[in-house]
Amino acid sequence: MTEDTMAGTTPRRDSRRDTMAFAIGVAGWVLPGLGHALLKMWGRAVVIFLSVGALVVVGAGMRGNIFTSQASDAFESLGYLADIGTGSFYFLAKSLEPNGPDVSHATGDYGTRLLATAGVLNLLAALHAYEAARGRKA
Amino acid sequence: MDLKLSHLQTMVLFAAVISIAFGFLSRRRPLDRVKYIVWSLFLFLAIGLGIGWVMYPFSR
Repeated sequence: MTEDTMAGTTPRRDSRRDTMAFAIGVAGWVLPGLGHALLKMWGRAVVIFLSVGALVVVGAGMRGNIFTSQASDAFESLGYLADIGTGSFYFLAKSLEPNGPDVSHATGDYGTRLLATAGVLNLLAALHAYEAARGRKA
Repeated sequence: MDLKLSHLQTMVLFAAVISIAFGFLSRRRPLDRVKYIVWSLFLFLAIGLGIGWVMYPFSR
């Protein structure tokens, strides 16, 4: 292969890999663990799915606050960003709270933290899948 | 569903789930993962309980 050919193909291949990595990262965000599953990292995929799922189920079960996009202050906006980090599990959490949140007791407040933790953990896992797909050490 | 967990139970659940997830994300070999999970869980609980005791005199 000549240098000219290599110069022509390598950036294209890199670009394709970056696009795939981005898609894998987004998939990992939408469904926790899916990014790692697409990379055939089965152990990590199962653990992320179960960890984020457990935090969402328990957090919603404790009637934690699930923030919406209509935030009235910066803290609610940050809470929404953290909650939406769970991807599709955000809607699962909503469906598990038919009576809405109850933060009048400490239990509800703990639930709010668990839901936010689930979102941030899933974002971290999606970023990890993205980096792994790009070929970085993971 | 209406779960009632105490502060301690919530902290233990949080510490266990995060330790396991971090262990799997940051280590490849099973033995390294187990070591990481155990050490991380211990630190989460020890530091959490330690801070709790430090704050205890100011709680009333």
